[in-house]
Amino acid sequence: MSEIIELQEPVETGHQMRDEIRQISDRVRARRQIRSRIMVVLCGTAFLISAVPLVLLLFQLFDRGLPVVLHTSFYTQLPSTPTLISPNATGGVSNAIIGTLVLTLYASIMAIPVGVLVGVYLAESDSKLAASLRVISQTMAGAPSILMGLFAFSFVVRDLGIGFSALAGSFALAVLMLPVIIISSEIAVRGVPHTLREAGLALGAKPHKVSMKIVLPAAVTGIVTGIILAMSRAIGETAPVLLVIGGGYINSWKPLDPVAALPLSIYENAKSEWPSLRTEVWGIALVLVVFVFVLSLSARMWASRKQQAR
Amino acid sequence: MSIVIPPPPDFTSHEEEVPEFNSGTSSRSWYHYVLIVASLLFAAVSVGFIGTILWNAWPEITHHSGTLLTKNGWQSPLGPFGGLAMIVGTLETSLVALIIAVIIGLGTSISIVFILPRRFRNIAATLVELLAAVPSVVYGLWGFLVLAPWMLNTVIPWLNSWPFAKDIWGNPGQQDGQSLLLASIVLGVMILPTFVAISREVISVVPNDLIEASLSLGATRWQMIREVILPTAKIGLFGATFLALARATGETVAVALVAGGVANVQSHLLYPGTSIASWIATEFGEAQGNEIAALMALGILLMLLNFGLSLISRWLVGRQRKVLAVV
Repeated sequence: MSEIIELQEPVETGHQMRDEIRQISDRVRARRQIRSRIMVVLCGTAFLISAVPLVLLLFQLFDRGLPVVLHTSFYTQLPSTPTLISPNATGGVSNAIIGTLVLTLYASIMAIPVGVLVGVYLAESDSKLAASLRVISQTMAGAPSILMGLFAFSFVVRDLGIGFSALAGSFALAVLMLPVIIISSEIAVRGVPHTLREAGLALGAKPHKVSMKIVLPAAVTGIVTGIILAMSRAIGETAPVLLVIGGGYINSWKPLDPVAALPLSIYENAKSEWPSLRTEVWGIALVLVVFVFVLSLSARMWASRKQQAR
Repeated sequence: MSIVIPPPPDFTSHEEEVPEFNSGTSSRSWYHYVLIVASLLFAAVSVGFIGTILWNAWPEITHHSGTLLTKNGWQSPLGPFGGLAMIVGTLETSLVALIIAVIIGLGTSISIVFILPRRFRNIAATLVELLAAVPSVVYGLWGFLVLAPWMLNTVIPWLNSWPFAKDIWGNPGQQDGQSLLLASIVLGVMILPTFVAISREVISVVPNDLIEASLSLGATRWQMIREVILPTAKIGLFGATFLALARATGETVAVALVAGGVANVQSHLLYPGTSIASWIATEFGEAQGNEIAALMALGILLMLLNFGLSLISRWLVGRQRKVLAVV
């Protein structure tokens, strides 16, 4: 309350003084109210501004992407590079769609079992190992994704001699997914009421039986939510796969083949000089965003259903 | 960008309720060993993560760390490889992006927690979360194909129409409108959800007693926010800021698409530049031998920067929890 009330003239009677004070305090109150209104409006404006990019982005995506994704050839054909003779030939992105599915599938196979088990361990153990792993996983969760690409390149591509492949890409994505799965699994397991665990123990069950048969089933919705979030993050990542998957131009499910990926196709088509590729890129982006939104919204709905069930 | 993970609750402070795993006399079961093996595997992966990058960067770090840290100019493929342009570019873009994100983000989280009608709050939170879920390459695409032409055709001519403008900022706007400023704007949009997620959480746990006390003393809504909420949540808000900064430093493909990819120390935001992460992404494809080592060394630098910032952030958010526990 920074305003200082100054009475300029000496006041003679009590009535006059009361009126004077009332006037001044009304003025001060009005000023405070106006300032409060202004700041509240400013905050609301900030909120509206923060929604602008999302609205603009979605509008552009649908506006430019819908005409592209309505052709079935977009999903079934391999990309064909435009040439001077046929500048509009773009084909489809079947290789990138399959590549993204392959990468996410293999990365999930690698990351989910380890991630959930480590999360359970962190929730149930007080050892020094658990404490340090907790710090490590939280730090790794924010690590720049390009570093996962460098790691996969030096370890899988070079040291193991596997070369540019789906395996290397999914390894990079698995390293990216691991901390997310670990953190969310730990939170989910910790969220299971202790009464459940204690009831199991009191009935004479071994601690590992309690953990497997009682705690894990109770925590499964939270764990699945974390897994879906990790997958939706991995699907959209470009930087780690950029360095290691090799950008294959065939449809392949084999882990050792080079593959393409949707985010990578976006990156490369956007940089290309051909207008036809720059048109097609909006379709790819739309497909990718729909993939990611469906995954993260379903994770959110799953989580809120869990809360309602409680 | 990425999914925002709010920092998990501080588990270490209330450990009394958790029954000790495998406590008592029962022998350690196979289940326990499976958990231990998985944890050791994760530990090995994280050690390998740092170790292999460091190992590959080692020749460059030992021989040319001075060049890497202080020299301008990247002579592909034989060197010398100066990283100053990338370091400066990373700091410039992230700091400008941070300013944008903090100003807009603070208003956004205050609106979500205190101003919006209750039934809109959930929708608003979902909106911000969707903003976080959009992949970074899509932001890059949007910046490159929509914002960059807009900068080139609208913003820069408008700036140049000012008197003496060309004397102050030269004649930018080559490179399809790509510039450090555009990269900062796109980055700002991308780190906004990170900042909002943490700051919203920090603001919303300010105790109701304090809020009600100040309102009952006659404070207006803004006075309550400024005199009670912001001071109480100050440390946690700094934590959110550092986390957003950490995110901004690590952003790769979006910056690669909109910054212009010019390895030159550039103090001027309207000119193209580059950042550490985006430079690694764009140069790695053609890199050979020493250049790979130099890029790995840049990666180590990025790792140090990022881990440092996120450690500071986590420490601040943890301290905020302790402060609130006292209140």
